[in-house]
Amino acid sequence: MAVLSFSLSPDATSRIYELLVCLAKFGESVSIEARNEKLTITALNLSRTAYASFALDAKTFFIDYDFTASSSAKGGDRFTCQLLNKALQSVFKGRSNDARGRETAIERCDVSIQDQPDKTECRLIVKMLCKHGMTKTYRLTYESVEVMHALFDRTAASQGWRISSRVLREYIEFFGNKTEQLDLLAQDGKAIFTSFTEKIQDGKEVLKQPLETAIAIHTEDFEDFHMQDQMHIVISVKDFKAIVTHAETLRGSMSAYFSFPTRPLQFTYQNFGMHCEFTLMTTGDLRGASSTPNPKFISNRSSSRQPSVAPPPPLNRTASEMPPPARPSFSKPLSSQSQRPSFKAQPSVTESDPDPESLFMPGGEEDQTWDPPNYNNDDGEEMLGWDANNEHPSESFHPTFRDSGTAAPPPQQQQERPAADESQEGLEPTQRLSQVSAQTFHFDAQS
Amino acid sequence: MAAIVPMFSAVASSTRHILLLLRCISFAKKALVRISAEGLRFSTDEGSSIEAFVFLDKALFTSYTYHAPEPASSQDDPPEPPFFEIDLQSLLETLNIFSLSDLTSSTRSGGYDDFAAHRLNRHAGMNAFTNHAMGVTGVCNFSYNGEGGALSIHMFESGVTTTCDLTTYEADTVEDIPFNRDSLSVKTIMRAKFLLEAVTELNSVNPASMTVFASPGSASKPNLSLSAIGALGTAAIDFTTATSSETPVLESLYCPTETSASYPFAALKAAQRAMASATKVSLRLDDEGVLSLQFLIELEVGSSDGSGAVAFVDFRIVPLVDDEGAREHGGESTSE
Repeated sequence: MAVLSFSLSPDATSRIYELLVCLAKFGESVSIEARNEKLTITALNLSRTAYASFALDAKTFFIDYDFTASSSAKGGDRFTCQLLNKALQSVFKGRSNDARGRETAIERCDVSIQDQPDKTECRLIVKMLCKHGMTKTYRLTYESVEVMHALFDRTAASQGWRISSRVLREYIEFFGNKTEQLDLLAQDGKAIFTSFTEKIQDGKEVLKQPLETAIAIHTEDFEDFHMQDQMHIVISVKDFKAIVTHAETLRGSMSAYFSFPTRPLQFTYQNFGMHCEFTLMTTGDLRGASSTPNPKFISNRSSSRQPSVAPPPPLNRTASEMPPPARPSFSKPLSSQSQRPSFKAQPSVTESDPDPESLFMPGGEEDQTWDPPNYNNDDGEEMLGWDANNEHPSESFHPTFRDSGTAAPPPQQQQERPAADESQEGLEPTQRLSQVSAQTFHFDAQS
Repeated sequence: MAAIVPMFSAVASSTRHILLLLRCISFAKKALVRISAEGLRFSTDEGSSIEAFVFLDKALFTSYTYHAPEPASSQDDPPEPPFFEIDLQSLLETLNIFSLSDLTSSTRSGGYDDFAAHRLNRHAGMNAFTNHAMGVTGVCNFSYNGEGGALSIHMFESGVTTTCDLTTYEADTVEDIPFNRDSLSVKTIMRAKFLLEAVTELNSVNPASMTVFASPGSASKPNLSLSAIGALGTAAIDFTTATSSETPVLESLYCPTETSASYPFAALKAAQRAMASATKVSLRLDDEGVLSLQFLIELEVGSSDGSGAVAFVDFRIVPLVDDEGAREHGGESTSE
């Protein structure tokens, strides 16, 4: 008897192909985790800064779904394995143009895992039943590994938005191909998405400065919008494009949850029994967001929903935990601004000659509250863009990629056991005590 | 001196069909050409393991003349019909020049022709001044003078003349791969696109060889199965006649006993173009395991070309000696 076996309709099969194409942009392999109630397919990128997961509901996505938990296996209530994305893609490819009524359209796809000790080969078996008596059978090798999931604390992610994926998909076409980062900003009742790459200069020579593109969408076009004013959150453009492209195939609306720059951000959307979640690392200027005492929010939510959580103080991370994204050098998206000494100590925002590369509009007198952050204390930090104040050097975990229960130091995060259902259940009760005490200390001070 | 009468000369108004058929066997650089009173036979081979040939019937040409070479003296037997080797790629390039401007050339079938021609028209920037519109078509003239002479191709088209003389080479020993037509172990006729799809799917695991397995059919064993093993796993395409569909993939099947054989996958890839152009294919295995694929290619209804004519392209592939592939599949199918 197979450990796992399920059947897919032709539509579901083509959806699997689309999700594999999306996962291919994150990593080379995909991990499959099967449980009684759902099948999760995930990928993690090499630098551990992006995590993508697709949870397929046992009852709605599949025609049949049968999972027999074998008690002898480690982690008895689930089965995990890893495969090369390319191998799976070549199996599921070419199913998406069945609308043309091709003669070899598949009628059904049966997948099973052959994992018995008495059989010499362990394989993932995919059988496609096509019309006219043709059957395609693929037997793929897989690797049994423990799957690592990213955890996301949705209760702490108080800000976010929701918008139709189709709208976003139209706009992402405008982002330049060579750009690497995407800056999200809320300002003047609009959400501004800017794609850019740090300008690289080698003395006088400009090595890389691709086109910066800024797209402004009015907050009223969002189904839901709640974000702190003038707060920049930066993520990877490629990841965003991959996510939005896939989201549009499900035709629903896409939600984003985040709190502050350098805290993780999550995109989710779901339809047709597929629940998709993407957890990304963000960068951006945390001090700017946290230094303002009364942050103003741009929101189209009703006022009763305004949260009263103050931004947490700069978080501690060791650089080894979350390696910086490709560009090591920014805390603000504009490198030019940080190089202008005249701007540093200026209390007022009014500029005589606006920096042509500035993303900020020159403000009026009333904008004094939104002064740029005070650079005086922070010389030397801008080159790295992280918070180098390692106030708690003993704390060696980044809260996002947490293990649950083991005290293994970070380099051994390879074999973590995934916690139970991630983001739905709030705070994991498996935080280390030192973490908890450190953080509660800060929260108490604020409230 | 009497005028030199070319041994062979033929005229074709459209080389599209010829190009299509020759492309099917163009996996090798050189082709062997045999001229006879009935038509031209082109064959290619790769080592002694794969061989392909196509016969261009004289009906494909507008005019076809062949003068058999005369024996040296009336006592001798008539000499063999001429055969020689030419560079196939050069021939294809030459014919390509001609058919590029041939507006009736279109690879789509059915009612799409007119639209495709119109589109070619528009995109190529040609309008009312094309050959087709003016009612003038080009002409392509083949001729061969005899042993040692070149195969000449003259193309005339609205004032532009292209001449190409292809050097002919002496052919190496000509031995066809033996195929025992009378002692078949498997014979099936199926639509070519299913075979193409099967080969394309198997290609995705990057296999070195493909195994063909056939059986009379039963609940657990498919009638015909093509399988391949790659680095990441195995793939198998199974066909069965036991289907409720009115148009089963296997239109006919003759298979008295179970049999299987393996072939180098490169040989199947060489036949992919033929699979793509053909309508049906007859797949046969003889008792030695030699695989014969005979593709039926329907030539489109043209104005002067043989309306509704068909041509056959044959492939013969020698099986691999070790039977690993067969054992593997036998083991897999019984374990289900």
